[in-house]
Amino acid sequence: MPFRVAIVGCGQIADGHVEQLQKLDAVEVVAVCDRESLMAEQLARRYRVPAFYDDFEAMLAKERLDAVHITTPPQSHRALASLAMERGCHVYVEKPFAPTGAETRAIVEQAERLGRKLTIGYTYALDPPALDLLAAVERGLIGDPLHVESHYGYDLSGSYGTAIFGNARHWVHDLPGGLIQNNVDHLLNKLLPFIADERPAIHAMGWVARPQRFGDRRDRAHDELRVMMRGEKVSAYATFSAHLRPAHHSVRVFGSQGTIHADFVSRLVTLQRPGSLPSAIGRLALGVSQTLEVMRATGRNALRFARAEFQFFAGMERLMALFYESIARDTPPPIPHRDILRLAAWIDEIVAQLDAARDNP
Amino acid sequence: MKVLVTGSNGFLGATLVRRLCERGETYVRCLHRPGSNLRRLAAVQADHPGAELDHCVGNLTSPEDCARAIDGVDLVYHGAAALTGAAADMFLNTVVASKNLLEAVRRSPRPARIVQVSSFGVYGMAGVEEGSVVTEDTPLEPHPELRDLYSQAKLRQEQLFWEYRERHQLPIAVVRPGVVYGPSGPAMSNRVGLRLFGLFLHLGRRNLLPLTYVDNCADALVDVARSPESTGQVYNVVDDDLPTARAYLDAYRREVERLRVVSLPLFATLLLSRLVAWYHAHSRGQLPAIFTPYKTNSMWRSFRYDNSRLKSLGWRPRVSTAEGMRRTFEALRAAAAAR
Repeated sequence: MPFRVAIVGCGQIADGHVEQLQKLDAVEVVAVCDRESLMAEQLARRYRVPAFYDDFEAMLAKERLDAVHITTPPQSHRALASLAMERGCHVYVEKPFAPTGAETRAIVEQAERLGRKLTIGYTYALDPPALDLLAAVERGLIGDPLHVESHYGYDLSGSYGTAIFGNARHWVHDLPGGLIQNNVDHLLNKLLPFIADERPAIHAMGWVARPQRFGDRRDRAHDELRVMMRGEKVSAYATFSAHLRPAHHSVRVFGSQGTIHADFVSRLVTLQRPGSLPSAIGRLALGVSQTLEVMRATGRNALRFARAEFQFFAGMERLMALFYESIARDTPPPIPHRDILRLAAWIDEIVAQLDAARDNP
Repeated sequence: MKVLVTGSNGFLGATLVRRLCERGETYVRCLHRPGSNLRRLAAVQADHPGAELDHCVGNLTSPEDCARAIDGVDLVYHGAAALTGAAADMFLNTVVASKNLLEAVRRSPRPARIVQVSSFGVYGMAGVEEGSVVTEDTPLEPHPELRDLYSQAKLRQEQLFWEYRERHQLPIAVVRPGVVYGPSGPAMSNRVGLRLFGLFLHLGRRNLLPLTYVDNCADALVDVARSPESTGQVYNVVDDDLPTARAYLDAYRREVERLRVVSLPLFATLLLSRLVAWYHAHSRGQLPAIFTPYKTNSMWRSFRYDNSRLKSLGWRPRVSTAEGMRRTFEALRAAAAAR
């Protein structure tokens, strides 16, 4: 019997959840829910989901669910997750997991107390480039990791940016960290495998680079962020930008013997090792080896495309597959709770620093 | 009479506001979002200093803003809708926004009359025999989930208006324009073809284009609103002397820009659609199903169009198709030169 799964919150990202869940044999999407019935209806009709609700409790009572995917605004995550877990459901919570670290801890502690599986939507952490990069590091190809750089670019005129800035009441503007907090998970969760510390030193700077045009709180939303971090063994820079072009989405890990770069846009993962030849010949050889590295990575991607493994939501599909596998086998969920909590604490610290700088420029 | 125009800063909305001023309205409440570029409405106000354009800044996704917008108005022209975007945003800004507006009207002490701007996209053309005449009685789309998001949202929006009319007896009339065109509007309808990888795939060929020049369409909205017998009725809006897609494309290439055109007959488009749909399914969605046989049968088959019901209200296209295309291409050429 497949797991009976429902989605609560029928906004943009809910499409991705239904699409990926419908690819999994272990799962059946039996219902969707949104407090605006028309939104629940449109999602159900487009994906031929048998039932839709505008009352979460009614859905829980009627549908005998095994799991719920929570894709509502983060301000509602704690209450919905709590109710779902009390009714026996495992929960997949979209990022941002919760507005604050305290609420994040409350959700995690309840899942542990009730013995429910819990995950957060760190989909890029399981995208093919992230997995290839981690595999290369684990094989020792760059030696010991010493420094990481993460970039996450954002398009204010894209579908998410348009929705957020088209409405002063959009929930993103209610988050303590606004637009930054809505995206910073994607920027920082790729640092988690390398910075093992609970509380690394963090220095954050944020500012608004776009012209002021609304005359309301939307104009206050930071659209640039730079973070410098230092853990016991590894340091990091993280850059969120709505203005650098092209919009970068990448991670570069510098090690004692080499550097590896994962580009999440082109999905190229390339390794750079120190040259062994001297002078001008050495410089030329480095160019040749880097070109060959890009060609090899492109070839791997072409093979994946031919095998229909070059999907937009590849990381989300993998995360969901692992999550339901962890439920079926009663093994630990794919994203460790410790990582969810650590990242929530880092975000709290970054938001606090941005607020302090805004108040005392 | 106090009039509200939603989507007042858009292509059709701003033209409607101008026509309302030209046709004697002295108070028009213009609903637009905060932060909008008000260049179009400013031009209307400059040309009609005697008319009161009451700027109402708000968002139809807010029930409070809807209540504020309809307060004290006698007539609502509801043209606001999402043209592009993700599915959820299309439904939110088209369907949920309409529900909020309808709820506000329903709750008001004296419900305003509403003219809703629907679309030809609501018709179920895949099930209609090729060559048929499209009238207001042509069946609505029975499989919206197989159509593009715009058609899906517009169909649900119109259905919502009929639900409110039936449940609450609201005074509603529905107008379904074909392809609205004109200066500052979109250059090319998908019914002519699609730009793809630097080429223009010409798919419409000899099909008639159901064009309506933006001023003619705005006139149609006013005529419907001012006609007492229009309540509860639907009116298609297309001009006379419709060109074929090929004639439009040829004129566009001559007057505006050169395009590298690949022309596909219907059987080839259907073959391509089957291939795209097969690959989409086979690859588990690795590439989007931009063509499917159902979409192709809806968009790129040949039909004729009837505007006699609208004409029975006295409407006539003020701007001929030849003149409308001339003005449109002239503006597009000027915009291209300015770039």
